[in-house]
Amino acid sequence: MTVKRRSKPVSVNPLKIGQSLGGILAMQGCYRAMPIVHGSQGCSAFPKALLTRHFREPIAVQTSALQEMDVIFDANRNLEEAINAVLSKHRPDIIGIIGTELTDVAGVDYQSMLKSYKRERNMRGGLAFSVTLPDFRGSLESGFSVTVEAMIDELIQQAGLRGQRNVNSRQITLLPGSYLTPGDVMELKEIVSSFGFEVIALPDISTSLSGHLLTGFSPLTRGGVPLDSMLQSLQSGLTIAFGSSMERPARRLHNALGTPYKVFQSTMGLKASDELFHFLHQISGVPVPIRYCWQRENLLDCMLDAHFQFAGMSAVAALEPDHICSVSSWLEELGVEQKALVTSCETTAVAEMERDVWVGDLDDAEVLGSGADLLISSSHGMAGAERIGAAHLPAGFPIWNELGSYMNVSVGYRGAMEWTNKAGNQLMRREAEHRESSIRHR
Amino acid sequence: MKALILSEGVDDPMEPIRKEEFDDQACGSQAPKSKPCPRPKPGEAAGGCSFDGAQITLLPIMDAAHLVHGPVACAGNSWESRGSLSSGPTLSQYGFATDLSNNDIIFGGEKKLKDSIDYIAGRFAPPAIFVYATCVTALIGEDMDAVCKEASGRLGIPVVPVNGPGFVGSKNLGNRLAGDALLQYVIGTGEPEQETPLGVNLIGEYNIAGEMWEIEKLMNQAGITLLSRITGDARYKEITWAHRAKANMVVCSRALLGLAKQMESKYGIPYFEGSFYGAKETTYSLRQMAYLLNDREMERRVDRLTEREENRLSHDLRPYRKILKGKKAVLYTGGVKSWSVISALKELGIQVVGVGTNKSSDEDVQRIADRVSDDTEYIPEGGASRIIKTVRERKADIMIAGGRNMYVAMKEQIPFVDINQERHKAYAGYEGLLRLAKELVDSLDNPIWRLASSPAPWDKEDSYDR
Ligand code: SF4
Repeated sequence: MTVKRRSKPVSVNPLKIGQSLGGILAMQGCYRAMPIVHGSQGCSAFPKALLTRHFREPIAVQTSALQEMDVIFDANRNLEEAINAVLSKHRPDIIGIIGTELTDVAGVDYQSMLKSYKRERNMRGGLAFSVTLPDFRGSLESGFSVTVEAMIDELIQQAGLRGQRNVNSRQITLLPGSYLTPGDVMELKEIVSSFGFEVIALPDISTSLSGHLLTGFSPLTRGGVPLDSMLQSLQSGLTIAFGSSMERPARRLHNALGTPYKVFQSTMGLKASDELFHFLHQISGVPVPIRYCWQRENLLDCMLDAHFQFAGMSAVAALEPDHICSVSSWLEELGVEQKALVTSCETTAVAEMERDVWVGDLDDAEVLGSGADLLISSSHGMAGAERIGAAHLPAGFPIWNELGSYMNVSVGYRGAMEWTNKAGNQLMRREAEHRESSIRHR
Repeated sequence: MKALILSEGVDDPMEPIRKEEFDDQACGSQAPKSKPCPRPKPGEAAGGCSFDGAQITLLPIMDAAHLVHGPVACAGNSWESRGSLSSGPTLSQYGFATDLSNNDIIFGGEKKLKDSIDYIAGRFAPPAIFVYATCVTALIGEDMDAVCKEASGRLGIPVVPVNGPGFVGSKNLGNRLAGDALLQYVIGTGEPEQETPLGVNLIGEYNIAGEMWEIEKLMNQAGITLLSRITGDARYKEITWAHRAKANMVVCSRALLGLAKQMESKYGIPYFEGSFYGAKETTYSLRQMAYLLNDREMERRVDRLTEREENRLSHDLRPYRKILKGKKAVLYTGGVKSWSVISALKELGIQVVGVGTNKSSDEDVQRIADRVSDDTEYIPEGGASRIIKTVRERKADIMIAGGRNMYVAMKEQIPFVDINQERHKAYAGYEGLLRLAKELVDSLDNPIWRLASSPAPWDKEDSYDR
């Protein structure tokens, strides 16, 4: 309906995570990739530490290590040095240069630098591209989708496709949004392939950040979609994007190659799942596999069991834009009152929602959500939830207060069931605690 | 008192450590002139920025508000990431950012900074506000000092500018710049409620996992007053009167040596460098305090305390020593902690076969050399791959490093103990050494190592036997 902002000069307990982190995250979903952050050390060290803390995995990232004088004189000399070092030491298949606010404000032109670098070195076979992701615009979500878009552009260039191609109608390209966990991406891949499709996820964090031992440690990404599969994805007969932020990359494929696309804005809850399964059934002509029919039954039964728990309850959620759309529609189905929805930046998807959305920080969530029973946010919201006496449901990024959150599933019938149970359990626990303390006080 | 036992490898304990002239230009502090702070190598660099370092030093001032002036990411990516604990106020755990937008950057963010300071002062009423510069605000030439000064005068609370934007250098340099800010704006601006003849400041101890409390307990038992904590679990006020201490101890933090050095020349407070990792280092540090306080009764009390604690500890450690004896470890920590942790490990019977010297000054390296055997490998720099190589080549049983390398070790199935910022266990003092021993044993003995290294049953067989 409307997007609102509380008037407050300062951000208190930021919800927003920089765009550049989104870019680094997208790169983790590609095999043998290395993002190079064009900025000062901290701009790669902070995201690396935060991503490590959330995924409990080593994170591949490098920096051009700009210092004051480099910024003023010749920042690109550092970048060149960084690319040289990364190429000679690690031989990655994919390099993504991520420009930061620093290079943006200083007006560094690394796009043309990269172009001439590629020309001079005769770089073929690999994929190298650049994106501009200053942290004073957008959020994690936009950083992620812009990077995927740039990746796709480069793929199209590389393949030299001009409209004509061999379409493989049994192959589908998935574009999973940044709010989906490795567990979610895996679930989506399974769901789509259960209808008889070949699936290529772009990027694919389900095999890189889901925890695996494969061949031990590498400074490059391990797992993720390999470059040849990425190129092969250009032959897909259809693109399915999850989250509105992924519509732009999908449109890229459509404009360049004519690949039709379908966007699922919400991925959580019964209705969203029904839409997905119905769509897959229609395009494939394959009946919905029996296990998903069972899962649908399970979900409905679980919602019936849980509805006593959710009746009369209220929640406040503070998440990235696409995530908030998804979570909101799930809460709707549970009959939970939505006291406030807070997000990190304004997007069209958010503006088109049927509810008011606030652009703000976790302090806004705390203030607007005062009296709420449940607070849904990253681990950063834990302290605030405690202050307002709400149960805290960890979601989004970063989460450090529970193990295996990166494997949580929120999509499909199974995901909706998991979330419903988890949220219900949190509320039950909170109730028990209240009861206990009231007994003690008597 | 000459009955002091020399702690291994430490110079004459009667003499505070202060070898060379403090070099203002070098990074960290007393870094020898032969080895200036190296420029981080593009494409091979790791580690945080100066802003990060400045925050690490000041965030443990728990009742202050810490406002980051810049686009949101510098604050957004870093708040709530430190394991520095508080015994009361939690305002420092709030993430405050001016969250500059595109427009602010074009037209300047000073107005926004001023409004932010006013808002925080009005709503949270903190005793002080620290304001951190970041790359962008430094690049566009914001006059933070002036805004802070004006706000300070108007609001009647200290508003301290911290000028350590990320791109000026390493984390270490940031620590030092934070020290400069304390010296320039905080220390010497207040007086303690009552005079304490036996007051000592701890500098560079951040109360990670509550280590400060462990140390404070020991000091209290010895009758030494902990005057100002710089900065673990500190309150703003106590730092204002730090200049009334009789001695300073710099706890494993070269970067803040400059602070101690300048407090010595400005206020005549003697200092020494020490550590609380390992019983020997702990004993040495307590003795050094007593010595600098120049109180005979106190020295006797410290002797009694340390003897009692050491005896008790060596009794409690017996079962662990049995298991740990002869085990090999690779140690990869920040430059200074290396030497102090080595002592602790040695006491447990662990042999350090490889040690990172990435951020160490020549003097640190010397101290490391004093504590390890000749065939220990020095890992000068280089990322995770290099550490793993050392672990493999030297057949180490365990890796002891910062959290950043934890999951690297897990990928290689190497037992690991976290020694840095993010950990949850306190290893300082006598109790801490016991805890470290237990942690090492628990990690080494875990059944996971056997399980993880055995292949799936179907991978074991060569072929199906019909
Ligand atoms: S390097 Fe600069 S912009 Fe990057 S995190 Fe550090 S202070 Fe912020």
